[in-house]
Amino acid sequence: MDKDYFMNAEIPWNGLNNCTAEQSFLEPNMDQFSHFESSLSSGLSNDAFVLRELIGKLGGGAGIGTSTTFAAESHPFTNTTNDSSSLSSPKLNFMGNLVNSVPLTPPPPPLPSLSTDPGFAERAAKFSCFGSRSFNGRTSSPIQPLGLNNGDVALRSSHHPLMGNGKLPRVSSTPSLNKLQNGSNKILMEIPISRPGNGNGNGMGFGSDKKLSKLSGSGANSNEESSVSEQIISGETGSKISNEMSSRKRKVVSKGKPKEDRSTSAKGVEEGEDGNAKRAKAAEIETKNEEETKGACNDESEKQKGNQKPPEPPKDYIHVRARRGQATDSHSLAERVRREKISERMKLLQDLVPGCNKVTGKALMLDEIINYVQSLQRQVEFLSMKLASVNPGLDVNMENLLSKDMFQQNTSLPQQMYPLDSSGPAFYHQQNVQQLHNTNISSGPLVDPLPLDAPNLGIHLPSVDGFNESISQFSAFTEDDLQSIVQMGFIQNPVSFPVPNQTTNMKVER
Amino acid sequence: MAESSSISNPDANSNLSRKRRKIEPKTPAGAPTETGRPRWQNDVEQQIYSLKLVDALCHLRRPDSAAATSRAVRDAADQVLAVSARGKTRWSRAILTGRLSLRLAHINKKHKKAAKRAAVGESRTKKPAVQKKLPPLEKKVKVLSRLVPGCRKVSLPNLLEETTDYIAALEMQVKAMTFLTGLLNGAVSSSAAASGDSSLADRG
Repeated sequence: MDKDYFMNAEIPWNGLNNCTAEQSFLEPNMDQFSHFESSLSSGLSNDAFVLRELIGKLGGGAGIGTSTTFAAESHPFTNTTNDSSSLSSPKLNFMGNLVNSVPLTPPPPPLPSLSTDPGFAERAAKFSCFGSRSFNGRTSSPIQPLGLNNGDVALRSSHHPLMGNGKLPRVSSTPSLNKLQNGSNKILMEIPISRPGNGNGNGMGFGSDKKLSKLSGSGANSNEESSVSEQIISGETGSKISNEMSSRKRKVVSKGKPKEDRSTSAKGVEEGEDGNAKRAKAAEIETKNEEETKGACNDESEKQKGNQKPPEPPKDYIHVRARRGQATDSHSLAERVRREKISERMKLLQDLVPGCNKVTGKALMLDEIINYVQSLQRQVEFLSMKLASVNPGLDVNMENLLSKDMFQQNTSLPQQMYPLDSSGPAFYHQQNVQQLHNTNISSGPLVDPLPLDAPNLGIHLPSVDGFNESISQFSAFTEDDLQSIVQMGFIQNPVSFPVPNQTTNMKVER
Repeated sequence: MAESSSISNPDANSNLSRKRRKIEPKTPAGAPTETGRPRWQNDVEQQIYSLKLVDALCHLRRPDSAAATSRAVRDAADQVLAVSARGKTRWSRAILTGRLSLRLAHINKKHKKAAKRAAVGESRTKKPAVQKKLPPLEKKVKVLSRLVPGCRKVSLPNLLEETTDYIAALEMQVKAMTFLTGLLNGAVSSSAAASGDSSLADRG
């Protein structure tokens, strides 16, 4: 099963003789690698943790030094964790180094600790908050030691205070990450999202940083993933992490491999798979929230807060960090998210609705919005009534109108307007027309090339007093004018377009 | 005028050629989802809408001359607006499907009411227990949800989003219709003037 796991995980153990490696890995030293196995199998799906476990266990097994097959590769440990191929090779390299060079001193002790969930859980809880900043800050530092790689791993790992066993940070690349990338793209996305300034795990792990960065690449999962990753960063060994994170990983784990101690994670995996869709949707929300909360969680004190913050309940797909001094209850978190969404939208509406700037408070804003929508709808009704009254001429006018529209800019088609003359009588019965008719308006505008040119309309159209208002009200309006009209809320006051009466008539007519 | 003039001839021609269809289900798949003002204050949008509206009104006129009611015009305008929304918003979809389901809804409502009355006749006599007084905020939200088509049972954040888009769309609609009205009036007046002039000339 583990073998299959490795196979399926597409772990490009490039230099590794796959079968042999795995076998050597898994079988011969089953007793020693039993934990490793389990952690590997279950952990891989859980991304970084597995790596940690793996490395930790490898460290333990390094002393045993039987699996020398790992030493095949000697690729420098690159910082480009996102490169899957590089991941595999560095990992191998690392392991090889581990095996060949300095046997990790701490490894053996951590192994048992790894297998013990409670201890891991505690630690994970401690390092639950990982700030993105700290994380990012770590990325540089961890990368260096990773680059060093040879023989320093043990030393470095031991230096990490947070790491119980000092080897976790190394975990960074390798198959687990590859697997992560391949399998759980979602997980990756979450990590960057949900790192609200937890500085705790920073010390833990360059490796974890890499993992996280890789994770960030993948997917949009809930922020829990980020918390998960954070915990990874904290350097918890795989088993602990996996157990601890099982609740978190639920969402992340796309390929859940049920292992004996991963039973919970297996459970979580299924949940996670179900929730993936939700998470994907919530991811954006989370991103938003995370950004918001990130800003809030910047201090060192945040770290401690994060530490104390209890792990989020599995059902909470929207990963929101509790801000400083705020309740950390999942309900209140969700409530806060919702409230923020609403206030965001209200702000948008405020910009849209005129006169809402002075108003504060949801109730008054809603009042304004309701009034505005009602007024707009009334306007539409009024205009439709007007259009309906004008409509009889619509058929005849249709092409003319369209042609007019098209020829707005075209000044060389005065003759296009003439068809209107023939249709003129049809409009006589129109109400509006009658007004015009009574005033004996000349047909001058038709002669002019652009009678309907908005800015000129008021001028070119025969401006008869009785006629003036309606004409100036409508036909002279450009879009800009219309905008101003709309802003006025209603076309109540005919815009007094400066329409000189007789002079324009003269101009228009001949 | 600038808006319509900028529309190239082919566009207008295509509109003309589609006279048969009142509703043009144009739903470009890859259209980006912009919200609020930027989406509806686009000049292009307004032009598109104006042309479509003109087209629709034209159709409205042709089949039967009795359909010149303002309500028919308004419904046509709303439909065109909903089409322009390309189905990305709830209210637009509700408008588009509103007509189809309207009659069905009426029929269903009648049936349901009849059934209810039969069943609930007695319970009506008993005064309903104390009703929780909805907070005024809730009431307003309800009113707003009634105003925006198709948003009666929508959660508040979504409702606000829909309202944003709806307000922007309504503004554009008012603009376009005002413009169109002015245009028509101008045309009418000018044609009337022309005819008046010609009649004058005849007499003269």
